[in-house]
Amino acid sequence: MRARAAAAAALASFGILAIGWQAGAQSIEASKVTGVTNSATNGNAGTASSGSTTSSGSSASNTSAAGASSSGTGGSGTTGSGGTSGSSTSSSGSTSSGSQASTSSGLKNGSFTGTAEETRYGIVQVQVVVSGGKITDVQTPQLTGDDMRSDMINSEAAPILRSEVLQAQSANVDTVSGATYTSEGYVASLQAALNAAHA
Amino acid sequence: MTTAFRSAERPAPPPRPRPGSNALARELRQRGRRRLLREDFLTMLAWASGAASVALYLADGGAAQFNNLTTATTSIGIIAGLIGTDLVLVMLLLAARIPLIDGTVGHDRAMEIHGKLGKPALYLILAHMVFLLIGYGLTDRLNPFAEGVSMWNSLPDMWIAFISTVLFILVVVTSLVAVRRRYPYEFWYVVHLLTYAAVLTALPHQFSEGQLFSPGQWQRWYWIVFYLVVLAALLRYRIWAPIALTFRHQLSVTRVVSAGDGAVSIELTGLRLEELTGAGGRFFIWRFLAPRLWWHHHPFSLSADPAAGRLRITVRNLGKGSAALMAVKPGTKVAVSGPYGLFGHAARTRPGLVLVGSGIGITPLRAILERAEFEPGEATVILRASTPETLYLRDEIAELCRQRGATMYELIGQRARHGNPWLPRHQTGLALSNYVPNLKASDVYVCGPKKWADAVLKDAKSAGLSDEQLHHERFDW
Amino acid sequence: MPENQPANLNARTFLAMGTVVSLSAAFAPRPDAGDDGGDGARRLDAAVRVIEADFATLEDRFSLFREDSEASALARGVLRLANASAETRAVYTDAIEWRRRTHGAFTPERPDGVLDLSGIVKARAIAEAGRSLVALGLTDWCLNAGGDVLVAGTPSPSNATSGGDAARPWLAGVVDPEDRRTLLGAYPLAGAPGCVARRALATSGSAERGDHIWAVSGGAPEFMQVSVAAADIETADVLATAIVAGGREMLDLATAQWDVDVLAVTNDGGLLATPGFRAPHAA
Repeated sequence: MRARAAAAAALASFGILAIGWQAGAQSIEASKVTGVTNSATNGNAGTASSGSTTSSGSSASNTSAAGASSSGTGGSGTTGSGGTSGSSTSSSGSTSSGSQASTSSGLKNGSFTGTAEETRYGIVQVQVVVSGGKITDVQTPQLTGDDMRSDMINSEAAPILRSEVLQAQSANVDTVSGATYTSEGYVASLQAALNAAHA
Repeated sequence: MTTAFRSAERPAPPPRPRPGSNALARELRQRGRRRLLREDFLTMLAWASGAASVALYLADGGAAQFNNLTTATTSIGIIAGLIGTDLVLVMLLLAARIPLIDGTVGHDRAMEIHGKLGKPALYLILAHMVFLLIGYGLTDRLNPFAEGVSMWNSLPDMWIAFISTVLFILVVVTSLVAVRRRYPYEFWYVVHLLTYAAVLTALPHQFSEGQLFSPGQWQRWYWIVFYLVVLAALLRYRIWAPIALTFRHQLSVTRVVSAGDGAVSIELTGLRLEELTGAGGRFFIWRFLAPRLWWHHHPFSLSADPAAGRLRITVRNLGKGSAALMAVKPGTKVAVSGPYGLFGHAARTRPGLVLVGSGIGITPLRAILERAEFEPGEATVILRASTPETLYLRDEIAELCRQRGATMYELIGQRARHGNPWLPRHQTGLALSNYVPNLKASDVYVCGPKKWADAVLKDAKSAGLSDEQLHHERFDW
Repeated sequence: MPENQPANLNARTFLAMGTVVSLSAAFAPRPDAGDDGGDGARRLDAAVRVIEADFATLEDRFSLFREDSEASALARGVLRLANASAETRAVYTDAIEWRRRTHGAFTPERPDGVLDLSGIVKARAIAEAGRSLVALGLTDWCLNAGGDVLVAGTPSPSNATSGGDAARPWLAGVVDPEDRRTLLGAYPLAGAPGCVARRALATSGSAERGDHIWAVSGGAPEFMQVSVAAADIETADVLATAIVAGGREMLDLATAQWDVDVLAVTNDGGLLATPGFRAPHAA
């Protein structure tokens, strides 16, 4: 093979492989779960750990909300639960700005915006709303990055608190799903719940 | 004995370059450069297609599969299958007699590459099977054999794929030189046709079991289009082209005349033969439509440039097939496809022309000489034979040399034991450059038995000629 | 007409495949007078008879608990798969395809090599029953076979027809594996706005019937319970089983490659969920 042919073949082959690799790396990355949750802790004013990118892709249009209203679709906010859950891998210390009104709990009322954090899905900036000494809302007003990635994140499973699951009382469900295979167990618990719902 | 048409024992002194040859030289060089560019491009394309088949998998996130042994084994299997299939498709393209490929690297080279790819392709396909049986076996906690049985039983297209593997093995094994020599050409040919069955039977499982090619994946389209391109090329150039050419020219044998020791010239007539002008030296694939002959096909070069109403091939009694040709009757219809090969005017790159032939390989040189572009004095014809009787078409060639101003040497005698093995014994110590003063500014066409031709080419290369100046046609079928 | 007039909701249960199957159906109250729901009850009884037969047919063939079933003959080695009925082979092929697509997390064979198609047969039975219900002209129903749920329409067809609020979705509760008398959460089936209709919800667990699912890694399963909501019951059921067996890796694969919602309970009681299982932000 002539040198020119060899060079062209090598260049083209490596180029194509690199493109394939790159395309593949993106799909691999997108298929990984972020594995990060937010943990809002009491007693540390204006600090919220960011990195939870489980918020919906449509949140790019969010405007920052003030006060106790929570119009955000980001949805990764824990409202005043104060508990820490899951594993928090990346937390960004953030500074705050907002109306400073000291309360007994040590949290100041107002809206606090964290520093912009670069994540692999784009830039995330967390805003915490404190009202009456409690964190009432956590929002991600800024989430940039291409939409395709955000959409992919939207389908991922991420750690959440029990309080974040769509709550249900047995009285308002129509049916019950559980890992129950025996009729005895089923009759004992689930059918009872089902019947109670429609009693 | 050596006779030279223009000079005696020693080659002539170099002729002075003529002013008129400059334009021709420029044009030929450009033509050569363009051909090399095409060749490099095709080479790049072939490699790139192999890389692309791996890239298909990488783009699907395949790189992530290499972090544990089971999925890595599976991935290696998948990649082996992808490259193996790519090689098979490239091989089919090489054998499809596509004019672009034929006119760039020549039929011989294309088939040589085709042959070289056979074993790697088979090994990759076998690796595909073995690695996947091990990989899936690890996943399913089965040994590879049990996994194979399970796949055969359970997956709808898998048993067909296993059959495909067996067919591929059969095709490659019968093509090994050692095996191929033992059986008649026809046997090998029929087995080789099974390649198509092997490719077809391999198809279903690629699309039904391969996740990479499942519906909705863009990779599926790449693969389908690749297959369709190959299919189209085969239909167009292996099936349609011969039929069209046969009906266009409607060849029939006019007479068969002796052309010396054990050789005959078959003259044919037909319609629109002037369209084939310039095809001298290149070969056609012939099928004589007579009982017991029609199912053999023969690659023969033209031994005279086509003229209106007249074609000629010169054939020596080499095998069973050509023996029967000696007795072909006038009036026999002939199916034909071609012309193929680079052994013709299109391959010229230099103003000088050197034609070196031995035995029956002399005959295509005669056709080239007839229409080649050269200034008087810039062409040299060297004919090599062990006896004067096998100096086929000698008189015709001598007459052409006289008319066109070419130098001709007849080198007759036993092979040299020392020095250049392509020369007769009594010329020991000489080389091609001694016969051709303007050798470096010439194209060298060599046609004859492989070993002999290789010796000539080696000689020419050692004289400093580059690959683009060397043209050869194997003539040992 | 009073607002939110309750639809006539009826429920029937029967035993099949070693578990309880329950069918609820809603019928829009007819504007023409005097319907006391008796018509709905009659239609429901007829439907139950049909789907009972659907379940029985598959159970006859595939139950490992029945000596005379084809599955038992296969398990004992009396019958080779190649000679099994076309339907059995189709189910097996289906199962193998799922094994391939889940990278081995779902498998139709037990570690002892016995062919066990029960994992996929129940889902097929539910799907078949669902088709029967549609064929019978029922538009609003909820079918629950041992905790695997398939629904159609809405439990409140009256609202939809009267042009009031949008019909509310069937709401399926998910059992808390740590306290089976309470619910972990709920999932709106076929009703999640802006989503592909997810009509099926299946839950698999490693706690109960521990012999049913084995972790691919050989170790203890990472998840105590996994619920998957999908467009069809077979996908939901297979993926739930596969995620319990395949752990986090399979969970990521499932959410990346299928359009599903997943709620997984880890061994230490934590939750992993896709957005579909999250509560909408409290207003």
